[in-house]
Amino acid sequence: MTLSQQDFSFVAGLVRREASIVLAPGKEYLVEARLIPVARQVGAASVTEFLANIQRRPDPTHQRMIVDALTTNETSWFRDREPFTALTEQLLPELIGARATSRKLRFWSAACSSGQEPYSLAITLQQALPAGWNYEIVGSDISTEMIKRAEAGEFSQVEINRGLPAAQLVHYFERAGAHWRIAPSLRRNVSFTRLNLTAPLPPMPPFDVVFLRNVLIYFDVDTKRTVLRNIGRMLRPDGWLFLGAAETTIGIDDNYERVVAGRTSAYRLKSAVPAGTARKG
Amino acid sequence: MSHVQAILIDDSRAMRLILRRIVGQIGFDAVEAEDGQAAIDLLNSMEKPPELALIDWNMPNMNGLEFVTAVRKEPKYREMTLVMVTTESEQSQIVRALAAGAHEYVIKPFTAGAMIEKLALLGLVPQGASS
Amino acid sequence: MSDVAALRVEDLHEIVEQVWSSYLDPDGIEPLLPIFSEEDVAALKTDMHASVSITGTWHGHVVVACNEPAAKNCSAAFLAMEADEVGEEDMMDVLGELANIVGGNVKSMLPPGCFVSLPTVVTGEAPHYPSAEPVCQLAGLWKEDPFVITMWQSSGAAGEAA
Repeated sequence: MTLSQQDFSFVAGLVRREASIVLAPGKEYLVEARLIPVARQVGAASVTEFLANIQRRPDPTHQRMIVDALTTNETSWFRDREPFTALTEQLLPELIGARATSRKLRFWSAACSSGQEPYSLAITLQQALPAGWNYEIVGSDISTEMIKRAEAGEFSQVEINRGLPAAQLVHYFERAGAHWRIAPSLRRNVSFTRLNLTAPLPPMPPFDVVFLRNVLIYFDVDTKRTVLRNIGRMLRPDGWLFLGAAETTIGIDDNYERVVAGRTSAYRLKSAVPAGTARKG
Repeated sequence: MSHVQAILIDDSRAMRLILRRIVGQIGFDAVEAEDGQAAIDLLNSMEKPPELALIDWNMPNMNGLEFVTAVRKEPKYREMTLVMVTTESEQSQIVRALAAGAHEYVIKPFTAGAMIEKLALLGLVPQGASS
Repeated sequence: MSDVAALRVEDLHEIVEQVWSSYLDPDGIEPLLPIFSEEDVAALKTDMHASVSITGTWHGHVVVACNEPAAKNCSAAFLAMEADEVGEEDMMDVLGELANIVGGNVKSMLPPGCFVSLPTVVTGEAPHYPSAEPVCQLAGLWKEDPFVITMWQSSGAAGEAA
């Protein structure tokens, strides 16, 4: 009793809209396996009946349960490694010099999904900042579901295995039943907000570093330009933007310049002066 | 005989096979042992110790933690990277293994991708060899 | 952590899903399809049983049960071979490791201070634990063959000292 094509398309559409995750054809069994417990929980006799009901009478709670059941996360901790190394070894020492008065750094993890990136940044800053410094990290995502999950700060065993060094696991997480929960000392420096990067952004204090990785690849050139312009307005004059390895501002937005940072590249606004000599920003 | 880069220590043949396939992806040849004591005997018979040991915890004769403790006492194995690969996933157990000298810790079940990421963390994955 | 009686079936399901997505269904195409109707579960026939015992602050057993075709498919996936090349010893080893992984993950959700035994695999009759009762169970079909994972708790043993 496999899912009908119509039911599968309905679920795939819902998950794509709500969580920007694509369920390719061939995943019918997976969808069914994940939805069997959900159907049971809401008292439907079968997945087919459950999906028929919800298509006839949309129910936000049930829709959320479907999205939740199907969006297990594949994101790694310290994904791609190099940006985090470049931060620790090159950019943070510069920023620490430039912010000696305020002793505070603000980071933005744009399109943070279930939270691995902002929490990886929190671990990086926790380890790299001198005593007496503060940091704030904002994680944003278009999906309410992902924001909810990131806010909870709980990760499954499989998620925890992905690229997180064991020493940091025992240091910055605690066991919570089948899951691992991020330590309160990190959690309190990270906040989350639902945000559409292609729409005008709400007012926020400017950021020292923005991570916007593997997001632009999903947009057409005009949208890329809009997003980069929006982000540029949020960046301090001597702040840094990290993109995914396959992404660039070149040919899209001339206001940025690419700077080699360690074994990767970072971007900054062209009017920028080196962080070490920056005026109070 | 060519140099072997990994030793896989697990009482389950199935698990050793899975590990063999994974380290093969990063170009490592491997030898296998079914418990800690067998692993020590095997290491002693080798001319040059492997770069990497993947170690189960719960095994008959000598368990993984005892193996790590024993190996850490031997200067000739100083360069060997020790990774626990086990279902033991209480925080206190991970702390014990790291304190005994394990470099990394992978909790079963793990995907091939997750294991390769851990090996990359340890600097054992040559550029471009990861999937 | 006050209620140490058993895991919830959702917890068992999550553990099983992680095992499947790691070793048996890495592409997410053929997961275990859970069955919740008691009648349907009772109708499942299993004759291979892999188990580990848990001792310490909690006493009981975790049993992974299936039939021979399921064990063959499972071994084939683990060992990267064809199902018809799988021998008796392969199935014993793979089911044992499966029980070890599921049991080890179950243990991690119990109060600290528990130990997991090495796995035992038997064919034929299901193992009988006279002084224990099943407290949590997840049954399902994988490639149309049954898998039943059951957590047994020894009577009066919760919180008992090791």
